[in-house]
Amino acid sequence: MDFSIDPESRRRLEEARAWGREAMRPAGIEADRMGAPLPVDHAYFKRFVERGGGRTRWAGPDGKAERGPRASVVTTLLLSEELAYWDRGITVADPGPGLPEASVLGLGTEEQKERFLGPFLDLDRPRWACFAMTEPGAGSDAAAIQTQARRDGDGWILNGAKCFIGGASRADWILVQATVDPTKGRGGQRSFFVEQGTPGLGDFKIEKKMGLKAYESTSFRLEDCRVPAENLLGGEPRHEQKAGFKRAMATFNAGRPVIAANAVGIGRAALDEALAFAREHELLGRDRIRDRLEAMTRKLRMARLLCLRAGQLADAERPNVVEASTSKAMAATVGMEAATLGMELIGLVGVRGDHLIEKLYRDVKAMDIVEGTGQIQRMIVARSLVQLPR
Amino acid sequence: MDPSDELLVLVETTRQFANEELLPAIREAEQARGPGVGARAAFEQIGLSRLELPESLDGAGLGAVARVLVNEELAAADPGAAWALDPLGGAFPVLAALGDAALERFGLPRLDASQGRVALAWAPECALTIEGERVDGSVAYVPCEAPDLLALLAPDSVMLVADGITAEPVRGAGLRAAGGSQLRLEGASVAARVKGSAAAKAVARVRLQTAALLLGVMRHACEFSRAYALEREAFGKPIAHHQALAFLITDMQMALDGARLLVHEAAWRLDAGLSCVGEAASAFAQCIEAQRLIGPSGVQILGGHGFMADYPMEKAMREARALALLVGGFDAAVECAGQELTRTETPLGLELAS
Ligand SMILES: Cc1cc2nc3c(=O)[nH]c(=O)nc-3n(C[C@H](O)[C@H](O)[C@H](O)COP(=O)(O)OP(=O)(O)OC[C@H]3O[C@@H](n4cnc5c(N)ncnc54)[C@H](O)[C@@H]3O)c2cc1C
Repeated sequence: MDFSIDPESRRRLEEARAWGREAMRPAGIEADRMGAPLPVDHAYFKRFVERGGGRTRWAGPDGKAERGPRASVVTTLLLSEELAYWDRGITVADPGPGLPEASVLGLGTEEQKERFLGPFLDLDRPRWACFAMTEPGAGSDAAAIQTQARRDGDGWILNGAKCFIGGASRADWILVQATVDPTKGRGGQRSFFVEQGTPGLGDFKIEKKMGLKAYESTSFRLEDCRVPAENLLGGEPRHEQKAGFKRAMATFNAGRPVIAANAVGIGRAALDEALAFAREHELLGRDRIRDRLEAMTRKLRMARLLCLRAGQLADAERPNVVEASTSKAMAATVGMEAATLGMELIGLVGVRGDHLIEKLYRDVKAMDIVEGTGQIQRMIVARSLVQLPR
Repeated sequence: MDPSDELLVLVETTRQFANEELLPAIREAEQARGPGVGARAAFEQIGLSRLELPESLDGAGLGAVARVLVNEELAAADPGAAWALDPLGGAFPVLAALGDAALERFGLPRLDASQGRVALAWAPECALTIEGERVDGSVAYVPCEAPDLLALLAPDSVMLVADGITAEPVRGAGLRAAGGSQLRLEGASVAARVKGSAAAKAVARVRLQTAALLLGVMRHACEFSRAYALEREAFGKPIAHHQALAFLITDMQMALDGARLLVHEAAWRLDAGLSCVGEAASAFAQCIEAQRLIGPSGVQILGGHGFMADYPMEKAMREARALALLVGGFDAAVECAGQELTRTETPLGLELAS
């Protein structure tokens, strides 16, 4: 049994900590004060790219692009916690191929990798990409999405509306989930690359959010939006590869533990701030306060371990679906509790609206909503524990 | 446990006012840091600002029960506006405890002008030094725009400060429709002060009126999210019919109904001249606990939509959190209720003497 962090991960964590303290947290606070996402030309993004961020993991057309060793899931989770500790909103705002990259790497054709990930090899400027699944009428029930893709000669015509999509208006391309046959649920769905500027893609509306203001969550419409056949992710049926990828997705889940790690990071930031306040105001001598801080520390530690356990299983290529959902359900709750405790401890200073804990309180709520709500995570665990019917 | 017919009329009138004047303008009021002129005029017209003022001073002479019923109705629409509409900024109990002279000097002119800039703050939480009659220091937040009168509350004393106050506007985590300030006090002086049981009762009253605002916000969150859950469908049925949400909605409602009865009983005790200090603190503490569940759950039931400002659940979550931090918040309420407990042998013994 070994709970230690290896030297390479420690080095990366130290780097993340320095960057988080110096650049991420100030940028996150700036966006929160503005009440709007950081603009595309913000100096933060430029610096992020200059220090090597925002690149794709794809090794390039000849497989030779310089990449450091691929981080293990556990290391990724530790980094996700550390970065969210400094600012969770900024981690999503950061340029890069983002959420859809894994699908493109797993399912995309070589041409698609070159076309869509190629520009992220050597960045000339901050670039973004995003994944659009959620619609005004369907989120948790992803099989019920209504955006339609209709074959039209050598292309596809897309019609529908998407909402809450991270970075949609600044993305070079959006990987849009659409249905070619609504009667088939998930089986009838395909993903399409829709490039920015494609006629019919528009009506972008950046939502006003309670928290996580650093990045844009955007609604948009697709109206008779025509994309060429080559924009269908994976091209025409390549069933074997697709089935393999989907099996892997159903067995190992890396996305949920990342959100869990984010929630632990936000909660840990709230705990540290609350402790600092308590120390400064000589509150640690009060049993009532010390007990609550102790309980919070304990729960955050537990949530972190659950999340690392899910990561460790994924690294070992062992099934982790239950652990991944458990970690997310638990960490989102505990993160919220930590921010709540923080608010109650700093009291009036929190209501004033300019203390970091107040921002964390607003930010953390989303951790119980994105990547499958808390209810959906519990359903997944219950399916395994008590064979809850679908 | 039902309100009298007279009180029911009052509740109905207030609800109509809140639905017509406050609810449609919640985001504008947040933006403008105060309710609109129309809302202020209508509020004045129905006489809500003089609810508890004695009849001898041209008031309605109603008590704590009326106040909590009215506050719940107002806050179900907009707790920040509810706060701002009261020319006494919730400080009536303090003025009443200080006696008629204070009420006439500090209260009546503001009531006559239908506006005042009165702030309330829980003194033990403020960085203040009070030496004799002199007060210096700072108050991190009051839900009031540029106050010129400050009521300071502590477990066993309440006082008024009427000079030496400098206010700086702050954004506020919630209650933005009330405005919000951070205060500096330099060479300020205590204009009036009362200690002992009268002060404790004033604190109880302030806790109850704040608890009632919390009830209103929580009711709104419960009602709005329940209606949404009945309409929104996922996996082939209304989300309310998935047991995980059905039970959450039920737990929220139970938490609200229970907390409301505690508030009502404590208010009734106060009006009836029975012991009420611990009871009011308990009721407030229970509202705060209920709020921890209901505020975030209102957002949760709406999923991603709950996190967006197009829907009012994110506002309800912020408002509830903010209200729950006033008057010393949870710890001060529990401390007070706990202190009262040490003075009683059978705290829940049924009172049989008439
Ligand atoms: C900050 C933020 C960023 C986001 N970024 C993206 C993005 O980049 N791309 C993207 O595609 N989407 C994004 N989303 C959307 C997110 O994935 C959805 O909000 C989420 O999946 C929930 O869907 P919904 O909002 O439609 O809620 P709904 O599915 O309508 O759920 C409403 C409520 O019903 C509950 N519920 C639903 N089904 C059941 C059931 N069977 N049993 C019990 N309860 C149930 C849910 O738990 C929730 O409480 C983002 C959302 C937020 C808040």
